[in-house]
Amino acid sequence: MISSIIGQLFGIVPFGDIVFGFSEFSIIGFVVALIFTIVVYLTKPEKQLEAQKFRVEDKLEVVSLEELKIRRMMAIVCGIATAGAMLTYDLFDYALFLTLVGIANIGIVSAVKKDWVLNASYQYGLIAMIATLPLFGSAGMILAKTGTLSLFELPKIPTSLLFEKIIFAAGMAGETGIAPFYASKAEMFRAPGSPYILMIHLSSLLLIVRTVEILLTI
Amino acid sequence: MENIIYSLYHPTMIIGFSVGILSLLAIGFQKDDLHALILADVVECAMLVIIAGVGTDLAEALILPGLVVSLAELLAVSEVLITRKHIQSKNHDSKKFKLFEEFKLPLHTGELKYDIEMEVLKTSPKFFAIILIVYGAILSGFTGGAVIATGLLFYALSQRVLGLNISDDVKTLWEGMAGLSGVAWAFWIFGFLGFFLFPKYWLVCLLMSGLGLVIKVGSKLGLVGYIGEVK
Repeated sequence: MISSIIGQLFGIVPFGDIVFGFSEFSIIGFVVALIFTIVVYLTKPEKQLEAQKFRVEDKLEVVSLEELKIRRMMAIVCGIATAGAMLTYDLFDYALFLTLVGIANIGIVSAVKKDWVLNASYQYGLIAMIATLPLFGSAGMILAKTGTLSLFELPKIPTSLLFEKIIFAAGMAGETGIAPFYASKAEMFRAPGSPYILMIHLSSLLLIVRTVEILLTI
Repeated sequence: MENIIYSLYHPTMIIGFSVGILSLLAIGFQKDDLHALILADVVECAMLVIIAGVGTDLAEALILPGLVVSLAELLAVSEVLITRKHIQSKNHDSKKFKLFEEFKLPLHTGELKYDIEMEVLKTSPKFFAIILIVYGAILSGFTGGAVIATGLLFYALSQRVLGLNISDDVKTLWEGMAGLSGVAWAFWIFGFLGFFLFPKYWLVCLLMSGLGLVIKVGSKLGLVGYIGEVK
């Protein structure tokens, strides 16, 4: 089962307990995340032309240099965290990377000096904080049930982990802000500054794919 | 079932999840943003309870990153709240208070008519601060540093409550101690390395790292009371 999804395993990096593995699946995600991180580092942000209500002229929204620096740094942190989440083969480590991506997402939009954007990012932050309970809780329960957190060891243990998998998926949904919680995140995309906002979207997509892989293998 | 830890696992899970669900209910009823944030932090504490339910050494190692991550999220969201508050109140300029300045005695705000200059208000902060600093110096290490910092903070904040300024001599001394903290840090690191490199001289290394840490922590934490005094 495991080999059919992740493909060929090229090698592992044994950092003590925390094991990074290079399989065909994880290398693809890693490379995509790294390419987008470099793109975010090199490109300049977009300029938005906003139509005004009850007025003739349009307004040009420019991202100031101070704001740009913070948002670019947070976007790069987000990209590195996504790349790390692709490679790791430890369940708790993966949950930590997920939460780190959530924090970086809040950081990307928190530098925007707009009332509605900050409001949306506050709502998303609340959901991300609440979602740590099912995420880390399920990791702890899997550890209590099977005695290991390694994704290489978990498929070999014949224990039903259905409930833990369900709440892990719920925690992932809250942390990345997908469907049931999307309303809080949708407003965040309206902030000016294209490549940084793209990073929010890309990281959550890659993490969903990786979570599906993990839930299918363990 | 010989070990008591096994029997504690199920109650811990039930308590953790019920605290989480009750906090969710409370967040649902909440109208104030700040209260919702604090209740979300309660959910994260319930997360720590669930991890602690595993009850092994590994669980102890997992609680620390969980705590750090939850604190980072709390800081990020509160930073968002502060920025939003700042944007909303940009037009009206509100008066900014220093730490503990709002607890000023009525004596110094001029609301009280009678002149009640009490000697104990001036002497007791010094007394308590000296006792705490001496006790912290005896303790040494990280705990001693925290005790020293408590003494310094108590002195600075009580001076602020009384509406007095800290005298220049004390400020200079304080700044000098903070300047030492870099050297003290080096002492701590070398003392710590000494444990591994020269295990024979462990007592010297212990004293070196303990004294370095006490100066470092005491001066750095005590600086909190110093904030706002700098011109």
